[in-house]
Amino acid sequence: MVKHGGWAGKVLRIDLSTGRISTEDTIEKYKDYLGGTGIGYRVIWDEVPTGTKPFDPANKIVFGVGPLAGTGAPCNGRIAVTTLWPTCWPKPLVASGHMGGHFAAELKYAGFDAVIIEGRADSPVWLQVVDGKAEIKDARHLWGQGIRRTTVDINQQMGPEASVAAIGQAGENLVPMSVVINSYSHSAGGIGGVMGSKNLKAIGVRGTGSVRIAGDKGEWEKVVKLHLSLLGSVNQHVVPNSPQPWAEYYSDTRWVGSKGRKWGSANPNIDTGACDPHNLNRIAYRTNNAAFFLGEKAWQYTVRGNGCSSCPIRCHTMLKVPSVSSKYGIPAVGQNTCVGLLFGRDFFKTFPDGPRGQTAIEACMVGMHLADDLGIWENYGQMQRDFQQLYYSGTIKNKVGEDEFKSYSWDQYEKGDPTFLFELLPRIANKQDELATSLGLGTGYLLERWDIPERDWQQDQKIAYWKLGHPKHHSSEEAGQCGVIINTQYNRDVQCHSHVNFIRNGLPLKVQKQLAAEIWGSSDAVDAVAAYSPMNIYKAKMAKWSLLRKELHDSLSLCNWMGPWIASPLKERNYRGEDSIESLLYSLATGDKKSREELDEVAERIFLLHRALTIRDMGTKEMRTQHDTIPDWVFTDPAGKAPYTKGTNRMDREDIKLAMDMYYEQMGWDKKSGSPTVAAYHRLGLGDVADELTKRRLVP
Amino acid sequence: MDVNHIFSRREFLLVSGVMVVAVSAPQAWGAKEAPLIIMDQAKGLIIADPTKCVGCRRCELACSEFNDGKASPTISRIKISRNLNFGPKGLHTGQPGQGTWGNGLVIQDVCKQCPHPVPCANACPNDAIVVIPPTNARVVDSNKCIGCKMCQKACPWEMMSFDSDTNRATKCFLCDGNPKCVEACPAEALSYVTWRDLTDKVPPRVVPTAVVSPDKAQTCNDCHMK
Repeated sequence: MVKHGGWAGKVLRIDLSTGRISTEDTIEKYKDYLGGTGIGYRVIWDEVPTGTKPFDPANKIVFGVGPLAGTGAPCNGRIAVTTLWPTCWPKPLVASGHMGGHFAAELKYAGFDAVIIEGRADSPVWLQVVDGKAEIKDARHLWGQGIRRTTVDINQQMGPEASVAAIGQAGENLVPMSVVINSYSHSAGGIGGVMGSKNLKAIGVRGTGSVRIAGDKGEWEKVVKLHLSLLGSVNQHVVPNSPQPWAEYYSDTRWVGSKGRKWGSANPNIDTGACDPHNLNRIAYRTNNAAFFLGEKAWQYTVRGNGCSSCPIRCHTMLKVPSVSSKYGIPAVGQNTCVGLLFGRDFFKTFPDGPRGQTAIEACMVGMHLADDLGIWENYGQMQRDFQQLYYSGTIKNKVGEDEFKSYSWDQYEKGDPTFLFELLPRIANKQDELATSLGLGTGYLLERWDIPERDWQQDQKIAYWKLGHPKHHSSEEAGQCGVIINTQYNRDVQCHSHVNFIRNGLPLKVQKQLAAEIWGSSDAVDAVAAYSPMNIYKAKMAKWSLLRKELHDSLSLCNWMGPWIASPLKERNYRGEDSIESLLYSLATGDKKSREELDEVAERIFLLHRALTIRDMGTKEMRTQHDTIPDWVFTDPAGKAPYTKGTNRMDREDIKLAMDMYYEQMGWDKKSGSPTVAAYHRLGLGDVADELTKRRLVP
Repeated sequence: MDVNHIFSRREFLLVSGVMVVAVSAPQAWGAKEAPLIIMDQAKGLIIADPTKCVGCRRCELACSEFNDGKASPTISRIKISRNLNFGPKGLHTGQPGQGTWGNGLVIQDVCKQCPHPVPCANACPNDAIVVIPPTNARVVDSNKCIGCKMCQKACPWEMMSFDSDTNRATKCFLCDGNPKCVEACPAEALSYVTWRDLTDKVPPRVVPTAVVSPDKAQTCNDCHMK
């Protein structure tokens, strides 16, 4: 019987250089960091020295889940993978990727909260984890194989229930823009090459154990049902996107299910129906991200929704497109979500039948088939935006040799022919030529290699580039100053959805303002999109809350693509959600009773440790000017509209300075440098971190 | 921690008394307790539609968490995980046909609440699989189960679970008429319906290898060789 509720209780440590396998007690060593990114940052801080490069044996990879992974708490299927980030430019810094699927739950059932990978194996290996035991196995026969073949091979050895996270050729070849994938379509970006550098092809996990709920099982059932009752669709959009008999509102949301919209490739097909929010047996029909991103045509190809263990929101859509078998010789069935779904389509500027036609869907199918087998990462679509920009500006022609340029079928590319992807994507995975190798580096290193000033990329909102080699991820175009603040804080694209899930939830501004007043202290915290008001303190409070909930979710194992749950589709609750749902779940699952405020404090500790790691490895405390930078496009408008007028996302430079001032103040950091003070570290129990940074003169 | 239910002695005697309709040969009479032979049909049944299953496994989690206080697909009495990736045939019969890696169909394995002769109950050397009202589900009495796993060898659909924490077998007991799995399904893929016989409709997963003990076999003769 496991000792604690929630946690499995053990962390697995694998030294690939020596073959040593050991375990640590999760509670003893990491309870103050919950799990997930919390364990990840702590391990990198304690064990990976400044100056380590991502592909050095001294770098470590921490696959971490938290106490809620594997339980029936809704939306707990994501595992955080923390390491030094190979596409962070100009200097690699700490970051995390997150993959859903069934790997997180299986790891818990196998008895582990985290797996720390260190060193480098002499020859290709894979790691087998079964019920508390780990074994390093020969993977020479798997090296060179795609992710699909590797997974099937390992499942043949371990049994069909095992969850396998594998890298493809891209990771093996140390392409920085590469992923690790489990459960067919669930990837963590940036990790593939780091695993490849360690000669680690895959991790296969099988667990027959359990995750114990410490609290009363009846209470647990009540809280789980409360949580379920508050769910909307994907991204916690709580309003449907078409009029429904039960709904007071409709809006442009991702809640796309409706009578007449059918899973057309289910046999017989299935009508998604009205999806009344009180019917918890219809939650899975609310979401269809293929239909949201690819248009009405995608419904006819939908087999079903798919997604992570425990999550009733099925954001991965399984599509069956028979034409791709005959046209491109690939399987008719494919699946993914968001940018993974759009991987192939987004390389193209145009298609013969428009952006939401048949060819666009086929390009998605080809893209998923190739990228999720070769294991290529898209950096939130930045690879595709870079590619279009570089091609149509003539840069590719200028930068690669003539023979290489001619080896691509550019006429097909310009016409929007998906067969072009068969030329480009394998070359990226295999680092085959100048273009493909450069694309595989990630934006920052690509620009440097081709002598393009980063500033050129920071001018145009359409390129969507932010800093450090990475794009914006829900910034000023959705959440004004709050979005800007959030986008300054990480070392890759910001994986934070706390703010945007509220802003885009579909409720009228009036209702959103009522909810905002309850949570952040004033209705002034939120504006209508593209009708922003000048900065105020409540927006800074919302930014802080958003960042802390993101870290909390990544450490507890709740999905920050789905949470938080502060709004609901329930009119009788005045559309309120429950701001304490995380603490209710955590307290019952673990038996360690913590209030919302106490849990937010743990989240702040974890977030602060990320900040400290960034400061340590950048070697400067001047974070405000060196790290928390904002691209020029944020302060421009294509039509020249003035900031804070209707219809523009344009921000004002002085106002954003004030925004950053207010944010640092909320965090208790030094405003001038943007660095946390010694007192801030001490307040959150990071005295040892403060001491180390003081020694290095990295505190204000 | 309990698996399934603990019955009061009175309730249990009532149940087992009703079920014993045949006794062993006269010379054995009085020497040992008559074997338990389940004759009553179940009243309810969980049925599943694979075209609607979205593979979230919330049914497995509801089954184990709300009944046992722990998340454990292994002891769940509805079984999704084993078919999720490659379908019921797994990877040993060629191309992945079903599951996420095949055509997308996820087959949900559920207990058939078998009619007489009930394979799991008949294989149990301790008569620990009994019938309880109101659903007449076939249920493991954890007081009698010794954890020998003979029932696991008897079920053609591999629907017997084993809880290594309690060292007891466990199986679907229909949650006394309000199955947690049915309630938990977010895709309306599960239904609780009036019992009907699915034992000759659903292909078995394995060939059962359990044997029926001689005293139980004798009761077959007593009833059927008239």
